[in-house]
Amino acid sequence: MLKPRGFTTRLIHSPFAKEDVNRALHQPIYSNSAFDFESAEQMELAFQGRLPVHSYSRISNPTVENFELRIKQITGSLNVTALSSGMAAISNVIFVLASAGSNIVASKHLFGNTYIFFESTIKDFGIEVRFCDLTNTDEVRANIDSKTVAVFVETITNPQLEVVDFEILARTAHEKNVPVIADSTLTPPNIFQAKDFGIDIEVISSTKCISGGATSIGGLIVDYGTFDWSKSQKLAPLAKRFGPFAFNYKLRREIFRNLGACMSPFAAYLQSLGLETLQLRFEKAAQNCRDLAEFLGTLPQVKAVNYPGTVGSPFYEISKRQFGKFPGAMLTFDLATREDCFVFLNKLELIRRATNIYDNKTLIIHPASTIFCDFGEEIRKSLSVSDLTLRLSPGIEDIEDLKNDIVQALH
Amino acid sequence: MAKIQVNGNEQEVEIPIALIDLIKKNKVEQPDMVSVQINGEFVSRDKFDSTLLYNGDEVDFLYFMGGGARC
Repeated sequence: MLKPRGFTTRLIHSPFAKEDVNRALHQPIYSNSAFDFESAEQMELAFQGRLPVHSYSRISNPTVENFELRIKQITGSLNVTALSSGMAAISNVIFVLASAGSNIVASKHLFGNTYIFFESTIKDFGIEVRFCDLTNTDEVRANIDSKTVAVFVETITNPQLEVVDFEILARTAHEKNVPVIADSTLTPPNIFQAKDFGIDIEVISSTKCISGGATSIGGLIVDYGTFDWSKSQKLAPLAKRFGPFAFNYKLRREIFRNLGACMSPFAAYLQSLGLETLQLRFEKAAQNCRDLAEFLGTLPQVKAVNYPGTVGSPFYEISKRQFGKFPGAMLTFDLATREDCFVFLNKLELIRRATNIYDNKTLIIHPASTIFCDFGEEIRKSLSVSDLTLRLSPGIEDIEDLKNDIVQALH
Repeated sequence: MAKIQVNGNEQEVEIPIALIDLIKKNKVEQPDMVSVQINGEFVSRDKFDSTLLYNGDEVDFLYFMGGGARC
């Protein structure tokens, strides 16, 4: 039988876990809470994990499972778990790996909510996050010790757009028996194969590109089964019984079900549909991003443009090697003053002022006054979040319309 | 003949029997998604063919996706 190799072909034709009784071409929405059993014995086996059936939709659900299997198909991973949001994916991973007294090594350059989660939320549970420069191997090595349970990295940091050499980072972490967790939201699976670069666990906000252009909120944990969990203090006892499934066992049989941040079947349906057009939409948005980066660079009012896909970026070469032609579809640019940024935002007619990325519509935000508004000026400075910077996430509109809107708003 | 435990139930099988043959004999559902333990230890998928079972072995077929809930 012909074995499809292309990204979109593989995902569109990925089979359901079980054939639909009506031979539906899309996995129907199972919106129910609970599932019936033929007998008490069958029910017992299901609760013991000895039957591949669903019992309660907080734990698993056919529509959600179908979405998970599609992600598994296109990533070549061992296990995938869909959750209610990207932040739910991050928090579930951390609670699987860390305990009071553990530490995590990460860059300060992080999405604002991730930074607060690391800096404040898990600190209250006795988990330390050691912020350092992940592009500096010596610094990473110096921060890892016997209590380190993960190195956490964003594939392209938001909004700094910094890119690390993942192979070097993974080698450094693995030498110390520590897994690498990557938030790859800005680099969806059609451009970035995390497993090839030594990443052990991927977390993705599927709200963004995967959902079909911001149709619904969701998150993903993609477990590649590459890390030897017998080297993890917390998971070593499970590694003997479950081998590469140790992480997934802890996640699916305890943390995920107890935190309750499951994806809804409606979101799974929308995101599964969105996934089918991921490559088409991403390539259009990324081309728009590249064109706008070049265009903005020609405008006298624009003082700086930051996009890893432009030759002048310090991350151009490493981005090209790791992500190919399109290193994400998001850029930032600076105007002369904070006031100029606000005036510009208020004059835009087509581009939307919104706090999201990878919508089908082009979105813009002033990160310093919004996502990072809870931080003082000094912390914002240490996070490289400037008052002069705007973050632009190009959608799939016609490029001339976007350029025209920018030009009219700058005048 | 030998006696082994499969998912907690006793079965009589002719030995030697390979794990892959036990999976087929028991018509294990979604065999590409099952995780197997013998006497509490994980068996990797690439060893399903070469792993032989002996009298008194305890075999568990487990799933982590799509089932097995304590809710």
